[in-house]
Amino acid sequence: MSNIYKINNKKFKSIYFSINFTIPVNVNEISQYSLLSAVLSKSCKRYKTQKDIQKYLYSLYGANFDVNIEKFGDLYNIEFRCECINKQFLPDNEDVVNDILHFLYDIIFNPNMSNGVFDLDIIQREKEFVINKIREVKDDKLRYGIRKSEEIMCQGEPFSTYVYGNEEDIKSIDNVKLSEKYKELFTNSCITFIISGNLSGYEDIEDRVNKIFSDKLDSKLDYKDLIYNKKLEHDNDEIIESQKTTQSVLTYGLRIKNVKDDDFYKLSIYNAILGGTPSSKLFQNFREKESLAYTVRSRYYRFKDIIIIYSGIQKENYEKAKTVIEEQINLIKEGKVTDEEFNASKESIISDLKEWNDSKIALSKMFISNMFATKNENLSLDDMIEKMKNVTKQDVIDIAKNISIEKIFFLRGDINA
Amino acid sequence: MHNIQVNISKELGETTYITKLSNGLTVYICKKEGFEKKIGLFGTKYGSLTNDFVDITTGNRIKVPDGIAHFLEHKLFEKEGANALDLFSKMGVTSNAYTSFDQTVFFFETIDKFEASIEMLVKLIKEPYFTDENVNKEQGIIGQEISMYDDDPNFTVYFNALRAMYKNHPIRIDIAGTIESISHINKELLYTCYNTFYSPQNMFFIVVGDVDIEQTIDLIESNIKKYEKNEYINNDIIKYNVEEPNQIYKKEIVKQMDIYMPLLCIGYKLDVVDEYQNIKRQIMCEIISDLYFSKISDFYEEEYKKGFISDEISFDYEGTDNFSHVIISSSSTKIEELKKDIIKYIEEIKDQNINEENFELIKRKKIGYNEFSADNLNSSYRRIIEHALYGEELYSDIKILNEITKEDIKDFLNILSNDKQVISIVKEK
Repeated sequence: MSNIYKINNKKFKSIYFSINFTIPVNVNEISQYSLLSAVLSKSCKRYKTQKDIQKYLYSLYGANFDVNIEKFGDLYNIEFRCECINKQFLPDNEDVVNDILHFLYDIIFNPNMSNGVFDLDIIQREKEFVINKIREVKDDKLRYGIRKSEEIMCQGEPFSTYVYGNEEDIKSIDNVKLSEKYKELFTNSCITFIISGNLSGYEDIEDRVNKIFSDKLDSKLDYKDLIYNKKLEHDNDEIIESQKTTQSVLTYGLRIKNVKDDDFYKLSIYNAILGGTPSSKLFQNFREKESLAYTVRSRYYRFKDIIIIYSGIQKENYEKAKTVIEEQINLIKEGKVTDEEFNASKESIISDLKEWNDSKIALSKMFISNMFATKNENLSLDDMIEKMKNVTKQDVIDIAKNISIEKIFFLRGDINA
Repeated sequence: MHNIQVNISKELGETTYITKLSNGLTVYICKKEGFEKKIGLFGTKYGSLTNDFVDITTGNRIKVPDGIAHFLEHKLFEKEGANALDLFSKMGVTSNAYTSFDQTVFFFETIDKFEASIEMLVKLIKEPYFTDENVNKEQGIIGQEISMYDDDPNFTVYFNALRAMYKNHPIRIDIAGTIESISHINKELLYTCYNTFYSPQNMFFIVVGDVDIEQTIDLIESNIKKYEKNEYINNDIIKYNVEEPNQIYKKEIVKQMDIYMPLLCIGYKLDVVDEYQNIKRQIMCEIISDLYFSKISDFYEEEYKKGFISDEISFDYEGTDNFSHVIISSSSTKIEELKKDIIKYIEEIKDQNINEENFELIKRKKIGYNEFSADNLNSSYRRIIEHALYGEELYSDIKILNEITKEDIKDFLNILSNDKQVISIVKEK
């Protein structure tokens, strides 16, 4: 099997197993796969309930397991992940790795179905779980502001849907539909198995995986063929909502046009200069100079060619805040970036990259993200650092010309402080 | 050469070296082989709870505005108009600072700028720079931070539980203060707090990472020495505590906010105990949380099936030399039903025998968790800070874990008494 990737480092004591199903989806399918993930994560034939699952994991020295869902742009990714301790650090060198692999196999391939469908009660309970997750987004106002911006920036594209899906779609799913989706999980996905951590004593790990999974993890789709950014046309817009809070949230959605291979590096540094670090223009001017906010940041979405700026402000400062944000965007366009700002941003991005080496999970995430974004499974951390180093200030100023403001979202807090 | 005390934890595969510099500052170095990242922390045993004390510069008793320790944290992490986060960021180094009830800590994380980061961190903390103008500006920024907490339902439900338990204790006060209280902060007050609580005897310096021990101590010492003339040597900090009754203050606080998912905290106020007991209580609560509230418990399964919970129920202990309590937190769309179930359940488990099988499973899990935590540099320094603040032997938590018996757990459950129980709820408008 070729789709097993190992990332080995003996400084760790533990091992992370990550089985990813990456699926091209439409908007409704996100809800279906989100519900499917919830159902699969809580029960299988051998371990019927969360209690059975957890008791088994406790017996494997507290191995961790969950099913993580995320979006790589317009693609949906379901990750079955487990973390356990390398045998050399356990009493009597007890080896739990085979148990973990069998467990993952059971969770994915022996679901709790009878007559080919999932149990209605379980589906009902998990629908409630997912709907709660969807409704809870509004409880964290900054997160809600960011979510709303993602939605309005990418309308019509699968990415615009929340990772848990939307309420109406969730409600309409029946057990036949869900069981269909379960089958499609294997026929309509790219499967990637990443094993990251301390693999000493596990030189035979591929053989172990093959023995347990045989050909079940063979991908039907090739990651090279999957399109993660649908790139529809969008209009400029300004949207205002109100809520009963003391603070207001202001977000800006920026669109990046004509993105080419390797622009990722330039855009990462652009974002760091704009609002990605404490040396950034937004932190320096919006927060430190004008005291408009405590939180102000910008986030670059590699898979969607957008940047979202978000901040928590006082509602009276709305107009002022807009002026200051727009000034910072224009300053970069006009080439008003000092060498100090540029170097600080670059340094900070490079040191973030280096830090990933200290986390087996971050290494795994970086690997799969690069694989889909660059269509290259051999890009190393060192290569990335090298490419980042080669970016010049002029590159950043040039790329700034392709970036424009598209959406403004204001969540006005109506309680007076 | 320094006199270095060596603490080894076989379980975690790490060693911590402790030494005291000539000016009284204690330095801790936790060696983590093979890791790229190095963390440096400079902290003081001073947080939001201390607002009534003797000003070291005058010898007079003084009461300071709420939120000043946190305000001071913001102002120290700044140098002549430049924010420290920015100064570090320009070097490619990540930094931050936080204030809690009993500590203020400033830290950096770096791969290859270790020496320069130590130099910067010491300079920032040892060279305060407060002006009327920069104090004024910070009032705006912190004002927005306070508004953010005011809108945060998790923060609100937790603080309301504290406010229900404590009548006079400063733990009732928001760490950042209020917009009103911080308006009374000026540069003179900041210097008073700084001079009183940022003396070397009251501070600690921690390094975690793959570093050379002697060289690192020398590096810290040579940097600290540059500022010796600015130092107040303060061996006897005098703080005044308010009288706090044993009884709770209010039984229940309910607040409505613009949210979807209601939140619940059930608090039990406890008698204050010494640090050994605090560590023991802490670990017992982790075991109780696993035994009775985690996904391996029958209770979780039942409540989940009923649709009363969708995420974990946590059972946490917090205790120092002047407060002690348990807080059970959860969220639910059926908050009143869940509240009733938990309260009833606590009474039931007081009389029940502990499930032998689950108790053994939890012990196995804890062995694994110690290994997981060794892969994470942050868990190493958290333990050292606790030790620096309250002095109990380093790594005693691992020893205590093995000593805890089922009887200890039952005894602890039985001190959670109904007349010391409070309820805090945040629900939708």
